[in-house]
Amino acid sequence: MKIKKILIANRGEIAIRIMKTARLMKIRTVAVRTAVEPNAMYLSYADEIFDNSEDISEIPVFLDIDKIIAIALNKGVDAIHPGYGFLAENAYFADKCIDNKIVFIGPSPDAIYKMGNKTIARKIAIANKIPLAIGSDGNISNEDEAAEIASKIGYPVIIKAASGGGGRGMRIVRKAEEMERLFNIASKEAEKAFNDPSVFIEKYIENPKHIEFQILGDTRGNVIHLGERECSIQRKHQKLLEEAPSCALDSRLREEMGMMAVRIAKAVNYYSAGTVEFLLDSDRNFYFMEMNTRIQVEHTVTEAVTGIDLIEQQIRIANGESIKFNQGDIKLNGWAIECRINAENVQAGFAPDPGKIEYLNLPSDPNIRIDTGVQTGSSIVASYDSMIAKLIVRGKDRREAIKNCKMALDKVWIKGTKTTLPFFRMLVRNQKFQDGTFTTAFLEKDLDKYYFNSEYEEMLAAWLATKLFVEENLEESSINVDFKNGKELSPWLLNKRINQF
Amino acid sequence: MNDKLQIKKLYALSSENRKFSFSLPLKNKIRIGKRDYLVQLKADEKYGTYILWKNRKYPVEIVRSRQNKYEILFNDISYTFTVETPFSLQRMKVLNSKKGKPEQENVKAPMPGKIIDILVREGSNVLRGEPMIILEAMKMQNEIQSPVNGKVLKVLVKVNTCVMKDDILAEIKVE
Repeated sequence: MKIKKILIANRGEIAIRIMKTARLMKIRTVAVRTAVEPNAMYLSYADEIFDNSEDISEIPVFLDIDKIIAIALNKGVDAIHPGYGFLAENAYFADKCIDNKIVFIGPSPDAIYKMGNKTIARKIAIANKIPLAIGSDGNISNEDEAAEIASKIGYPVIIKAASGGGGRGMRIVRKAEEMERLFNIASKEAEKAFNDPSVFIEKYIENPKHIEFQILGDTRGNVIHLGERECSIQRKHQKLLEEAPSCALDSRLREEMGMMAVRIAKAVNYYSAGTVEFLLDSDRNFYFMEMNTRIQVEHTVTEAVTGIDLIEQQIRIANGESIKFNQGDIKLNGWAIECRINAENVQAGFAPDPGKIEYLNLPSDPNIRIDTGVQTGSSIVASYDSMIAKLIVRGKDRREAIKNCKMALDKVWIKGTKTTLPFFRMLVRNQKFQDGTFTTAFLEKDLDKYYFNSEYEEMLAAWLATKLFVEENLEESSINVDFKNGKELSPWLLNKRINQF
Repeated sequence: MNDKLQIKKLYALSSENRKFSFSLPLKNKIRIGKRDYLVQLKADEKYGTYILWKNRKYPVEIVRSRQNKYEILFNDISYTFTVETPFSLQRMKVLNSKKGKPEQENVKAPMPGKIIDILVREGSNVLRGEPMIILEAMKMQNEIQSPVNGKVLKVLVKVNTCVMKDDILAEIKVE
C-alpha cells in the first residue's frame, strides 16, 4: 500500500466511518480540530490531530481549499479523503491535490466537473443513449426563454441549478404564471449556494420513486454496480430514509438500470465510488437524474446487503489497485434500512433543532449498525448539518427489516434536542410504507401526521403538566428519594432546557 | 379555610383543545377502564428524567413553562398544555366567546438562521400560505409563509440578517 497516511477533510460520523476502515487497513489518519467543535467525538478516532481551533473565520476549514492542502502538506499525508459535502465534489480541489502530489480519494477532477455540471451531464447522457426527462438543451438565461421552453415541453416543469444538488436552486413550476417568480428564486438560490446562477429546465416527473445505483470503478477502466438504493422518503428533496434493495425493481429492471448506470460512469472514465440517480415513474420508465461523485450518506445500506466496505474500495482504488471482483460476484443478501436521526422538530416542518445532546443511548444488536459522530454531552451545532446518528437495520427480507427497525427505534434514547425519531416510528407503522407503494411525494401527499404517539402518551404528558402545576401552585414541594429504584423527583428540580438562542 | 383546598379538579388543555381532567390531590395513578396504573416520574444517570408507565420508560423533558402553560417533551414529541382550575376554565370560556379575530399577525422565525430573500414588500397583499421570506438554516432553505390573508404592514428584517428563533420578521394586518 502506497497510501500510509490520510487526512480526513471532514467531521462528524463520516470522519469516524472513514477512520474506522483506515485503522483496519493499518493506515494512519489525521483529523482537524475546529473552533466550533473543539471536543468533537471524531477527533478521538484520529492518530494525529491538526489543531485549527484558533481559526475563527466564518467559512468552515473543510471548505477552505488552500488551508486543507496546507494542513495535508504540513502533516505529510499521502492522501485526502473528503467524505461527503464540503469539498467532496469540488473538481478544483481534486486538481489541487494532484498538483501537490497528494492522492485525492475520489474520482478524477474531469469526472467531478462533468457530472457536477448538470447541463454537461445531460449532454453526456443524451450522447450515450441514457433515458432522461425531456428538457432544455443547455442553460437558460432568462425567464422568457424558460417560459418558451416550458410551453413546448408542457407544464409541470422543474427548474434545476446547473451546479446544483441537494434540492437547492430547484423549483417545480406548475403554471406559466408562476414561471417568472420561481425562475428568479431558483436562479438567485443557485448563485448563493453554488456561485453559479445557471439553471436549466426539465419536464417534471410526477410522483416518481427515487432509485439510485452504487457504482464502483477503478483506474484500469473496470466499472461495476453494487445494486440499487431506494431513497423516495424525502422532505424538501432531502433524504430521510433509504433502503437496499428497492421493492420497486425486479431482477430484469435492476439489470437494465444497472447497465445504464455503468454506461454513464464509463462515459466519464469514472473511478472510485459514485452514485447514479434515477427517477422511476409509475409505468416503470426510468430517467437519469444526476451522478454524485462521492461516497454518500446512505452508502451503509449497500454495504449491509453486499458485504463490501465501500471506503476500503475507495482507498484501494485511489492506491491504484484494480477491483478484485466482477459484476457476477455481486450478490444482494437480505434487506437494509437506514433512518437518518436528525436534530429536527418534526412537528414544526422538520425545522432544525440544534442543541446539546444530554443523554444518548443507542441499541446494539447483530442486525443493527449505528454510525454517529456524537455522544452524551456533544452538541449539534447550527453551523453544520443536523445529523445525530444513522440507524441501519437489517433483516432477511423487507418485512423483517421493518420489524427490526420498529424495535430498534423504540430503543433509541436521545434527550436534549427534538429528533426525527417520532417520524420514523410513524413511518414503520404506515401501511403505504409497508406496501412499498410510496413515492417522493409521500410526505406531502400521503401523510397528515408526521409523528407517532401511542394511545396514552398525550394523557401522560398532561399528567406531568398537571403535576408541575400542583407542585408550583398548590403544595410545598417535597423530595422523596428512593435509592433502590432511582430518585423520585420533584419536577422543579429537573433541569429546564434553556433555549440556546 | 384555605382556598386551595377547595379545588377538587384540575384540567390540562392541549393546544389542540383536548381536555384531560385530574382529581386532587393528584395521585401517581391513572385509571384506564377499571384498572389503576402506576405512573412515576424518575431520573437516573443513564437516562436522565423519564416516566415509568406499564414497565416502559419514556423520556420526558420540560421544554418551557410560563405561568400555567407548559411545553412537555414526552417520548420525543412536544405537547403544550395550559393547566386550569374549574374556576379559571369557566372564566376562559367566557373570555373566548367575547374575543374576536386578532387584527394583526406577526410572522416569526421558526428557527435560527439567515435571511436569504424577501419576497414581499410593505403594503403588498399576501394570501395564507404564500411564501414571504426565505430563511436558510443548517444548509436548508426554508420558505416562511404567511399565516393569514392580509396586508404586509412591516418587514423587520433585511437580506443577510441573521435571526434568532421566534424573532418577528414581519407584521401582517389581517384582512
